[in-house]
Amino acid sequence: MSLIGKSVIRTDAVGKVTGKTPYPSDVNFEDQLWMKILFSARSHARIVSIDTSEALAYPGVIAVFTAVDVPQNSYGLIMPDQPVLCGPGSDQAGADIVRCYMDNVALVVAETEEIAAAARDLIKVEYEDLPAVYDPYEAMKDGAPQLHLNTPKNILCHYRIRKGDMGSAWQQADVVVEGEFHTAYQEHAFLQPEAGIGYIDDEGRVTVLVAGQWTHEDQEQIAHALSLPLEQVRVIYPAVGGAFGGREDMSVQIVLALAAYKLRRPVKIIWSREESIKYHHKRHPISIKAKWGARKDGKLVAMEAEVVGDAGGYAYTSTKVLGNTNMMVAGPYEIPNAHIDTYAVYTNNIPTGAFRGFGGPQGAFAAEGMMNRLADALGMDPVEVRRVNLLTDDKLAIVGTPMPKGVTIGPVVEKCAEESGYWQRKNDTFERLPVEQPADPAKRRGVGFACAFKNVGFSFGAPENCWGTIEIHGDATIEKVVVRHAAAEVGQGTHTVIMQMAAEAVGVPMEKVELIASDTAFTDNSGSVSASRMTFMAGNAIRGAAEIAVQKWKDEDRPAVGVYQYRPPKTTPYDPKTGRSEPNFAYGYVAQIVEVEVDIETGHVDLIRVISANDVGRAVNPQQVKGQIEGAVVQAQGYAIMENLISMEGRILNPYLSTYLIPTVYDIPKEVKSVILEYADPIGPWGARGMAEMPFLPLAPAIADAIHDATGIWIDRLPLTPDRVVKTLRENGIGVAFS
Amino acid sequence: MKISVKINGKTVERDVDPRMLLVHFLRDELGLTGTKVGCDTSQCGSCTVHLNGEALKSCTFFAVQADGAEITTIEGLAANGSLHPMQEGFWEKHGLQCGYCTPGMIMASVAFLKKHAHPTEEDIRHGLEGNLCRCTGYHNIVAAVKAASEKMGG
Repeated sequence: MSLIGKSVIRTDAVGKVTGKTPYPSDVNFEDQLWMKILFSARSHARIVSIDTSEALAYPGVIAVFTAVDVPQNSYGLIMPDQPVLCGPGSDQAGADIVRCYMDNVALVVAETEEIAAAARDLIKVEYEDLPAVYDPYEAMKDGAPQLHLNTPKNILCHYRIRKGDMGSAWQQADVVVEGEFHTAYQEHAFLQPEAGIGYIDDEGRVTVLVAGQWTHEDQEQIAHALSLPLEQVRVIYPAVGGAFGGREDMSVQIVLALAAYKLRRPVKIIWSREESIKYHHKRHPISIKAKWGARKDGKLVAMEAEVVGDAGGYAYTSTKVLGNTNMMVAGPYEIPNAHIDTYAVYTNNIPTGAFRGFGGPQGAFAAEGMMNRLADALGMDPVEVRRVNLLTDDKLAIVGTPMPKGVTIGPVVEKCAEESGYWQRKNDTFERLPVEQPADPAKRRGVGFACAFKNVGFSFGAPENCWGTIEIHGDATIEKVVVRHAAAEVGQGTHTVIMQMAAEAVGVPMEKVELIASDTAFTDNSGSVSASRMTFMAGNAIRGAAEIAVQKWKDEDRPAVGVYQYRPPKTTPYDPKTGRSEPNFAYGYVAQIVEVEVDIETGHVDLIRVISANDVGRAVNPQQVKGQIEGAVVQAQGYAIMENLISMEGRILNPYLSTYLIPTVYDIPKEVKSVILEYADPIGPWGARGMAEMPFLPLAPAIADAIHDATGIWIDRLPLTPDRVVKTLRENGIGVAFS
Repeated sequence: MKISVKINGKTVERDVDPRMLLVHFLRDELGLTGTKVGCDTSQCGSCTVHLNGEALKSCTFFAVQADGAEITTIEGLAANGSLHPMQEGFWEKHGLQCGYCTPGMIMASVAFLKKHAHPTEEDIRHGLEGNLCRCTGYHNIVAAVKAASEKMGG
């Protein structure tokens, strides 16, 4: 019986339910020291001097490190624009400047955590304040403070899409709608705050045991900062307590490695929740001005958009995130004429970067918001207006090239409507059914729709590959199969799925499979667990490795070892003038329908029911797929209506779970109906597509649509918290008085 | 201060700093790292243990307050090498992903079932409101608790 499509129970479940599984904060060494980080006290300033003498004299302090101690004082996932430690005297120009509150200034290492914290308060830093800028539009103006030497007007990237002929396009439109959409920060709020331990391993390697999303990238960045050969650095991930993109960039990796390297003793750090929220990146707040036009029959003729994303003080993955938004702001539709400008802009706010959906949710909020307004303005059903415009294998995407084969957004939208119970299909036309209204006049119910697409894998010409190794051990018969794979298990269940796929590829039961994972000393580079890519990439790598190993086994090679690097079809970057590109090699497709109840007296939006139809290609482990859908929906619910990170002049004012509210079990919808569709991806392993991000994308615009359905009011700014909803409704004369 | 606490059936005596939180006593002094710290402000419930059979967030309780008490942590839940029905429920129903909230969630659920042997889904949602999970969307957690209650004869 095939293991693909079977809900095998997670291989890590027993350790996790018994408390035996160690996370980074649970690992201790006998002679370990403790580290505390002194962060910047300014949003933009030059550090004139750092006096560590009192801290060094504090009993129990072992060392204090500053910028002068970092061999190569720069790092960054897509470009090394951030100092490891900010301060004077380092090798990097501009490293004496802090650009946001999350900059690291000094590291205190001591016998205990308490001593390190106390000594940290004794460090004296002399700052010379620089003018700061907190608004990306202001930051792009002439004369605005410039954060980085080589980045005039703070424009980190600018993408353009120029398609068709905008000169005549608007004249063809019978209806034109416009909107200004504003999305908000989101905090990852994974349950395990950053932690780790740095030490020198038995073979003399600088080793960091930490929670991350890409062991080999962490290794490279550590090696860069420490000016060490790659093989002298080792990165190990034990269990990781959630990630969602929030561990794609570095947190404690380099500073732990630096301290262990200098002191030759284990050094441990655990961030508090406050530190976690203040000092790792956030989801980009993005402003989108959009204008869309369609003919009477609903066919889109043109769209234009200006997209401005706040990158914060450093690049992180902003160029990639905004690259995605640049495309997704046009939705999964065929649009003959388009004009898009997208900017990522440095400011003195907290840096922004990867978070489940990676620029897609922001793009979808505008694209779907526009489509729902068009449906309203045309008097067309929102499902029907999509059906007229959705991409197929034969149509050109907004970037002027065809999508990779296997475009299924059409059937996904139809299945979603059919399975929802809110639509009926009559003579191949979808019609909305009326929704029952509560007796309470303050409560109004509405139904909303949105759909989206999400790339699988790295985009726009970024190098993309994944290694896998299969070893078949035994003599006459196969005794065990060892898989070596670097993929980070962040909770998504990738280790279980990798073992399933390995067992299937070799043709042995799961029990015979052993996994060696997430350690640069024993595994080859897998790429990150991000971009919904790991099932797709690891599956193809494992299939390739298994094929080689099985052949060697037949040739009586013992142990039979197959090593394989999977490389998907190449992608290309945006043309700088037109945006033409082949952006991605695979996609997943999703549609959602929601029912909400709006309390027009209080502004509370109660998400009652969600139907999420998702083309996952092939559900390798259906139970885990369903878990990803439910998890993504609730995280998106938080994003849409609850989570409200407040930043004032670059400083986060609510860095606690008591003040930054995420959904509890009592907030979640009564029902999340997961419709798992399996339209095979032509190049996915066993047909699988990536899927863990896409259920996040349509939820916020679907909720905004449902609020409009309930009240007649569009709200285009996230989050849709009660204060915002009630204020907007009252401005429109709703909820003021009842007869 | 000297305290004596019965932890997972074994009495331990220790001299502790009066300001030491129970969660740090468990994790740092006794090496019981199954109990997690997630928020420091008693929102997330990752640190939930049982104090004399009741669920307690051990990050808001001093170790000295536990003097003379009986404490059960996640490590003490499985009896004679077999999993507690609640642990089985979370395992079978995919009530976990990253697993960081799981020990606290399981301890809170076990204490909840003591008071609500036949819970409805609504009861379970009320009962677990003090424990946060960021991965699962909670539906499978509710299913896990329901399954455990049925297995336990609820």
